Amino acid sequence: MQSVEKPTDSGALDAIDYQKYRIAAKRAERATAVARVILWLVLVIGAVVFMMPLYMMVVMSLKSTQEIAASSVWSWPKNLTFENFKTVLDNPNAPFFLFFKNSAIIATFSTAGVLVSSSLVAYPFARLRFRGRDRLFMLLLSTMMLPGLVVMIPTFIMYKYLHWVDSFNPLIIPAWFGGGAFNIFLMRQFMMGIPRELDEAAFLDGASHSTIFWRIIMPNSGAALATIGIFAFVYTWKDFMGPLIYLSSPEKQTLELGLRTYQALNQERWELLMSGSVLVMIPLIVMFLLGQRYFVKGIVMSGIK
Amino acid sequence: MKLISRFVSKAAGRVFLCLLALLCSGLASAKDPVVLQFTVWDGDISLTIIKGLLQQFEKENPDIKVKLEPIPDYNVYHQKMLLLYAANVPPDVAMMDPGHFQALAAKGALLPLNPFMDKTPGFDIKAYYKPIVDTHTYKGQLFVLPRDIAPIGLIYYNKEAFKEAGIPYPDGTWTWDYKVRPELKEKDFVWVCQQLVKKDSSGKVNRWAFASDYPELLARTFTYSSGGAYANDSEHPTQVTIAQPKTVKAYQYASDFMNEFHYMPNSTETTGVLMATAQQLFVSKKIAMYQNGIWVTPQMRKDLVPGKEGFFDWDLTQFPAFADGSRSAPTGGSGYCIFRGTPHPDEAWKLTKFMAGPVAMAAMAKAGIAQPAIKALALTPGVWAPGPTTPKDQEYPHNILATDQAVPFVRFEPSAYYWPSVNERLSSGLDLVWSGQSKAEPILQAAQKNGQVRLDAMLKDEHLGDFNWTIGVAIGLLIIAGIVGWTFWPERGVRYSKREQIENRAAYKFISPWLIGVAVFTLGPMILSFLMSFADWDIITPAKWRGVQNYVESGAVDPLFWKSMGVTLIYTIFSVPMGIFTALMLALLLNQKVKGIPLFRAVYYVPSLASLVASSLIFRKIFNPDNGLLNAVIYGSHGTWLGDQLSIIAGTPGKHVDWLGSEKFALPSLILMSIWFAGGGMIIMIAGLQNIPQHYYEAATLDGAGVFKRFKAITLPMLTPTLFFSMVTGFIGSFQVFTQAIVMTQGGPNDSTRFYMYKLYQNAFESLRMGYASAGAWVLFAIILLVTLVQFKASKWVYYEADAK
Repeated sequence: MQSVEKPTDSGALDAIDYQKYRIAAKRAERATAVARVILWLVLVIGAVVFMMPLYMMVVMSLKSTQEIAASSVWSWPKNLTFENFKTVLDNPNAPFFLFFKNSAIIATFSTAGVLVSSSLVAYPFARLRFRGRDRLFMLLLSTMMLPGLVVMIPTFIMYKYLHWVDSFNPLIIPAWFGGGAFNIFLMRQFMMGIPRELDEAAFLDGASHSTIFWRIIMPNSGAALATIGIFAFVYTWKDFMGPLIYLSSPEKQTLELGLRTYQALNQERWELLMSGSVLVMIPLIVMFLLGQRYFVKGIVMSGIK
Repeated sequence: MKLISRFVSKAAGRVFLCLLALLCSGLASAKDPVVLQFTVWDGDISLTIIKGLLQQFEKENPDIKVKLEPIPDYNVYHQKMLLLYAANVPPDVAMMDPGHFQALAAKGALLPLNPFMDKTPGFDIKAYYKPIVDTHTYKGQLFVLPRDIAPIGLIYYNKEAFKEAGIPYPDGTWTWDYKVRPELKEKDFVWVCQQLVKKDSSGKVNRWAFASDYPELLARTFTYSSGGAYANDSEHPTQVTIAQPKTVKAYQYASDFMNEFHYMPNSTETTGVLMATAQQLFVSKKIAMYQNGIWVTPQMRKDLVPGKEGFFDWDLTQFPAFADGSRSAPTGGSGYCIFRGTPHPDEAWKLTKFMAGPVAMAAMAKAGIAQPAIKALALTPGVWAPGPTTPKDQEYPHNILATDQAVPFVRFEPSAYYWPSVNERLSSGLDLVWSGQSKAEPILQAAQKNGQVRLDAMLKDEHLGDFNWTIGVAIGLLIIAGIVGWTFWPERGVRYSKREQIENRAAYKFISPWLIGVAVFTLGPMILSFLMSFADWDIITPAKWRGVQNYVESGAVDPLFWKSMGVTLIYTIFSVPMGIFTALMLALLLNQKVKGIPLFRAVYYVPSLASLVASSLIFRKIFNPDNGLLNAVIYGSHGTWLGDQLSIIAGTPGKHVDWLGSEKFALPSLILMSIWFAGGGMIIMIAGLQNIPQHYYEAATLDGAGVFKRFKAITLPMLTPTLFFSMVTGFIGSFQVFTQAIVMTQGGPNDSTRFYMYKLYQNAFESLRMGYASAGAWVLFAIILLVTLVQFKASKWVYYEADAK
């Protein structure tokens, strides 16, 4: 939304044309202002709609069981209580802080693995020429296409032979070996958007491919790295099936597994489930807000030029 | 040859080491306690009790240590048991129930308990309630030692509601019939229901008379009670009988209870109006009588504390007998089993005997969770039956022994291992009956037919040979060779210059983590699942060779194959473009340099972070036919042309569309819901927009390009790699979607949201046909691969900056 200025070659316009231009420009400006108001209205309405689950989670977590049953879902609690949060934080059957630690360890280390290895693997697919590249890439994508449930048992048996069952290994180590086709593909797409002049110049200066990767490609991939980092972290943090299958010892469980304690057969506790879910979600929101700073840092491109 | 001999000598060395280790451990075990793995599906409340009990057990048996592994999710619990058994690492002792033990017992995964019982002096299985012992017996052997029996033919009632209506409290001697019988007064259950409904002046129900925990529970109770049945036999059913007249009548009556007489809230009224379980409605005085098992008692006691606000006097009674005096009702119950292959069977039996013995049962009973499976214990005052030592807060319900009186009349569902799979077919259309959209008769007729097809498929007596692993391994190697050949053969003639060789070598160094990862973690399981697609594999016993029969059955026999494929295709075709469009729009809006934008982005990403349970509750609310947000917009206060048309399409003219409950609109509702999760796509798009070099815009602005011109000439082409990515991964992902359907519709109504993956999941872990599911998965793989290849072939529209020069 640029402000309308008099064209630089206005000398070529005669007075009437210039008058016309002024009117059109003003109209455009007014239209932009109206568009902006509409835009914000849409954004705010949309925001209200998209905030509904969070609102509902918070409201339910602040009510007693009786009030949940007796009141509307949307109503603000009449008797505000933090009892549910206290129960969740103190529950010895799902020790919150221990599970938090486990979740944090798994999510941090696997996210790190995803970031490092997916950018390493994506780089040649995006910018180098090598034997079988395009077909290897199709092979890479095809690993996403087979439903996980039919490889679940063979994979589990394999980890058993590696003595990895009931440890964090199956949830962390594979992330360091490629980081998943989704992330590699995304990284490749972004790396393909970086203009070639830079690495061509560096290559002629005698830089190796790893120098180009670390000095030119990586600093220009901030936005993509932030995106992948956020996705990987959210995915592992909220993963249920993985920890469920590979972790058996109670002291190794994660938050997402712990939440199920409040959802057990015939023992559902909505208010505890919701307060637990709110607590589990807070780190993700914080992380997302922090991760966004790298969105803007992604564009060093124009600075270099 | 040399290689092989080296391998053999290495292996021999290993064996020796192992033997040594075994010897050492054998010597050491004289002192070290035996460790038993023990899994339960109990949640928070019972876990506390179980932990206390295990401490006591370890004190009494200092040579045994118990490692408790709770899996508080009933469905995945059984999935994990299968997985652990398949990997040969099952727990020693595990919780089990009538619906699941037979699959394991029949295939030899569990130890029969009779030998242990025989050599345990003083142990008397006759002390246990007979029905729960019988149902856990397979071919004359007991496989699960029961810990509790939980008849569901029980009714909790609000005494104040009865007092208010001037009706004497029920003593369990009442009956029900297919009509109101005023002459019987309080001895007629239906008459009582009629009296207890409270309406306001406009005719809206203020308080319902009755509710079952879920509609089918009432239908089942009516069915058993009036002499109906679901199959011709329990241990080995061969005929589905759900469409017999007695059952049809019972199901219709259950529907009428909700939709005709409004004695009972229907499911939209329960979860929609107040977003509560039936139990919460009872506690908040919205229903006067509530049918469920005894397991809700602890929560009930917590919610209703004498002297505190909201308390009312309540008690328990038996579900009425049928008019002809016969009485029968569904039941639950559970116990503990010992997995075959446990290295410590005797210790495992000690634990089983303890956890399903008097001490443990008494502890569970005192907390009001489970009626002991030992009758004498249930009747001992102060344990289950109230006694002088019963604490004040556990006095309710006074008539707790209704659970004991109900035992002689309990009916278990067929216990055959293939029944859950058949049963899933029987219930697929019932939502339409519960919401009153369809009569019971046609739905149950269809259910009987579909159930019989499934039953026949499960019973098909195929004489299959063992899976030939030599051929299997050969095929596996062939596949690997094929992949390698396909990858490198076409480029065999290309000669590289020096510079290109350096590039080639560098490239392989960079992708080596992935190559290793694929070789080690991915390829093996994928090939194995491909091999299994030619096998008959129930996860528990070794695979049998079935050839291409799995593929033939998918395409030609299984009616659900095409149906679920269609559902998935429709979902994909609509949800992917809609998702991309929404994500793009949001990203364009949220890519402005305005204060507060990061917060806005977070807000739009919230639904993808929030718990799926919370989201599903909200969507139930939005899609609710009577007071949901969507219908409020569409119908307004007086109805609209659009609303009328939608109602006609839904097949319920004159009524508001029941979005999730209608066969026509359930899938569109889920598609609509998928927009909600566009936040993830939005982030990718924002990142894509951020990646566009700013100087392009500056240059274009100087050239006098307007907003739309700049969008068309710069933003859109520069964003094509991101759009392409969203498209490809969007298709790959949405072909495999099914969690929303599990949470929102359970595949219903009438399979209209039975996604392909949902079907595969049920094939694999409910029908225990992993081979068949693998074949289905590889069909899906082929389809997705084809779609992806087409997209890559047609990707000329994608502009890559790095390609341009």
